[in-house]
Amino acid sequence: MTHTIDFPVKVNLESCIADKGCTVCIDVCPLDVLAIDPATGKATMKYDECWYCLPCEKDCPTQAIRVDIPYLLR
Amino acid sequence: MNTELLSLLPLPLATRLIDADATVRRIALIDLLDEIDPEEAESYLVSALADPAAEVRLEAARQLEAQDSPEVVTGLLGALQDEAREVREAAALSLSAVKNAAIGTLLLQHATHSDAEVRTAIFRALRELRLPAAEAPAIYALADTHASVRREAVAVLGWLKTSAALPQLVALAGSDSDAEVRRAAIGALGFASDAATLPALEKALTDTDWLVREEAATVAGKLGLRELVPALIAALQDSFWQVRLKAARSLGRLKDDRAVTPLVESLTHTMSNLRKEVALALGEIANPAAAAGLEVVLDDPDTDVRKAARLAYGRIASQLN
Amino acid sequence: MTQVTTVDVLVIGGGTAGPMAAIKARQKNPNLKVMLLEKANVKRSGAISMGMDGLNNAVIPGYATPEQYVREITVANDGIVNQKTLFAYANNSYAMIEELDSWGVKFEKDENGDYAVRKVHHVGTYVLPMPEGHDVKKVLYRKLKQNRVIITNRLVATRILLDGEGKVAGALSFDCRSGEYNVIRAKAVILSTGAAGRLGLPASGYLFGTYENPTNAGDGYSMAYHAGAELSGIECFQINPLIKDYNGPACAYVTGPMGGYTANAKGERFIESDYWSGQMMQEFYEELAGGKGPVFLKVNHLAEETITNIETILHGNERPSRGRFHEGRGTDYRKDMVEMHISEIGLCSGHSASGVWVNERAETTVPGLYAAGDLACVPHNYMLGAFVYGRLAGESAAEYCAATQLGEVDEVQVEAERQRIFAPLAREHGLPPSQVEYKLRRLVNDYLQPPKVTKRMEIGLARFEEIRADIQNIVASNPHELMRAAEVRFILDCAEMAARASLFRTESRWGLYHQRQDYPEQVNDEWRVHVQVKKGADGRMTLFKRALEPYLVEPQEAEKFIYQHLRIRPETVPE
Repeated sequence: MTHTIDFPVKVNLESCIADKGCTVCIDVCPLDVLAIDPATGKATMKYDECWYCLPCEKDCPTQAIRVDIPYLLR
Repeated sequence: MNTELLSLLPLPLATRLIDADATVRRIALIDLLDEIDPEEAESYLVSALADPAAEVRLEAARQLEAQDSPEVVTGLLGALQDEAREVREAAALSLSAVKNAAIGTLLLQHATHSDAEVRTAIFRALRELRLPAAEAPAIYALADTHASVRREAVAVLGWLKTSAALPQLVALAGSDSDAEVRRAAIGALGFASDAATLPALEKALTDTDWLVREEAATVAGKLGLRELVPALIAALQDSFWQVRLKAARSLGRLKDDRAVTPLVESLTHTMSNLRKEVALALGEIANPAAAAGLEVVLDDPDTDVRKAARLAYGRIASQLN
Repeated sequence: MTQVTTVDVLVIGGGTAGPMAAIKARQKNPNLKVMLLEKANVKRSGAISMGMDGLNNAVIPGYATPEQYVREITVANDGIVNQKTLFAYANNSYAMIEELDSWGVKFEKDENGDYAVRKVHHVGTYVLPMPEGHDVKKVLYRKLKQNRVIITNRLVATRILLDGEGKVAGALSFDCRSGEYNVIRAKAVILSTGAAGRLGLPASGYLFGTYENPTNAGDGYSMAYHAGAELSGIECFQINPLIKDYNGPACAYVTGPMGGYTANAKGERFIESDYWSGQMMQEFYEELAGGKGPVFLKVNHLAEETITNIETILHGNERPSRGRFHEGRGTDYRKDMVEMHISEIGLCSGHSASGVWVNERAETTVPGLYAAGDLACVPHNYMLGAFVYGRLAGESAAEYCAATQLGEVDEVQVEAERQRIFAPLAREHGLPPSQVEYKLRRLVNDYLQPPKVTKRMEIGLARFEEIRADIQNIVASNPHELMRAAEVRFILDCAEMAARASLFRTESRWGLYHQRQDYPEQVNDEWRVHVQVKKGADGRMTLFKRALEPYLVEPQEAEKFIYQHLRIRPETVPE
């Protein structure tokens, strides 16, 4: 059985267009925590170092991202 | 997309701009400004405003923000009538950031456009340009059937600070059905220490909407109109403490001794923000008659009230010495 | 793989001051090659990545004068200022607002298009709200492109290069994605890397839950130090009043003009100090720990219209996830007060006074090296100060280039740095950077968080030395982790400077920022001086006093009296 960890940056795989060449969220993240998931071609949170600052969410051309406050602060 | 233009681009971007998939074309527009100079990018973006796909037109309209060549402005004006709402909104937003006064004439040609959304966007964009030529169209638009157009036209005239518009602004401030338009009109009078504005300000101090009353109290102080002191003193009894606060602020700026006793009475109001502002105003007026009242709030539970009272008390004391 | 690039001016840090410096260098001399190097991406980097909600130090004619401003900051920073640098800010403040306005940065204006300046402080009037200030970075990016500044993103600069004569010759860096080593040769380098924001550990324990953008690890403080520049006022820490756990600003400068305020549990204001300062933080600290604590942001007495307005501004600017945080806790501004606390420590001249020493031309003590923004020592400078000093640095650097030859690069230094930086990639086992960072920053909290105690700080220094040894064991499995490993070194340098500068100044000053339990008094005879930190010829950290420049405007006795009055409770005012 495998578990996935609940990261702050959530990407809606339906609306994300990273597989068509979009890198907006990956570009704007100040901490460089986002990357393309090779398995899906979509954006994903690769490093658990989110500042919950929201450029990824605000700048996403298809509103595919939702950033939650990291659990430790909630 | 114009093929002559495309031959100038580095290849991958050029092919993405004409990809069969609209999303790919859209992403290419996002990357455009990162890869080529802004002047060059402009022509690609303008031509993309005519793309068959709404998402591409939307992106083009967004990316053209604050670009203010005549070609861009013409393109964006066209996009104000796009069939897709989000394209229209993006075009209006991008137009509102235009800073080049030279394109004002282009905007003015559409000031009486049949679509209210277009008219609103045009006057929104004209505000910062402060064009004398915008005066007549803006005055005309004060009678527009849409409140949003009237509100933007008020701003254009307020920013122009033109006395030609005073009668209409005064009328609007007193009678417009929309509270935000009345508030804006009162605010727009803030440049004219003119006897003609007095009745409007006096009336606005008793408007049904507290935000209008608050604006009027602020403008009275900005203009330094002593004739309004009685009306401001009356506003110290407003049911909204926020209005009373702005009235106190303006009475402090006006430094009129008639305000001392009514202000002292407000020093015991339950809202500490108001007590603070009243104490500050009494300090500015610095009339010894306030000393006894101020003494009471020297040990107010709120530090800011105490601070303001001490400063005021100090000023009055130094006047006596 | 080593990439070598040659430019005239290299600006390190693309947040606030950096883009302005790059633009102004190009405008001063359009023939110069100007490169803006950024660790993240200039589109959304630095302290204002999501914009700014207001200016709190605007010197606008008709509301404030430069003389008045300089006098107030002199008093607010307990006398330890170089007034020439303050004047350079104050005299250029209004022109900068006008220029930013013409570029499209949005400041609040009334219905006549006049700046809607608000009175928040009791003496001067300096607050200009920016309710639509969320697009500052977009405006800067547009200007960078129009001015043909060369932009490079995702490069981590690690050391300044000096030539044989000790003047700047460029900088060394690596790409945090490809791992490529980059040598950038330049006649002049401008440091604008922001605060040392990852120094203390937030109370939440979350490494990236900092007040400052956590990308700002103190990179520039460390680089300036190793280049032999003087740093100043490092013992004057940055500590901020923040929303508890969220650790972001409650923005008194936004809510204040609208009627909101900081209150104790009884809903009463308690802060006596009029200016955001160590004195204010001291009062905050005491209330927090006292019987009337904790401390709250109070807006629940305001009208619905005002609260909606506050929410729009606070949840749309600077730290927009505030709204989401409140939502998660079930906090409603209409009903509830918002719990606050004070932050972990950092170094930031924008808010306090700790930074790289600069003069009124933004020159550091190293020829060809300039500094601007949060890391340059110009007290209480904030965002507008970063823009003004960015401009000064860009223009000074452009002038300097005209009379300077490109310095020779020391190949030995380039190779040594390559070995040092890339070592964690070569190690097969060791410590993860996150754990070393966590431990280091936990030690910073344990030993440096004020009130400061001599013995505690001495133990801290000893523990920091152990961390220095641990760094030789850090492993990284990719360039991203390599970046975190490099940042641990920056943080450690800052921690050591913070401890040594604090130990050197054997008095208390600046309220909580430098409150020493065993030296509780302010001693003006001995300590009305700057404390400087510098890397000595032997490679060790040296500390020394730098005399104050004579004041250009003397704070008037009456004003000092008013200020003291703003700080003393009435019952303790001597009769």
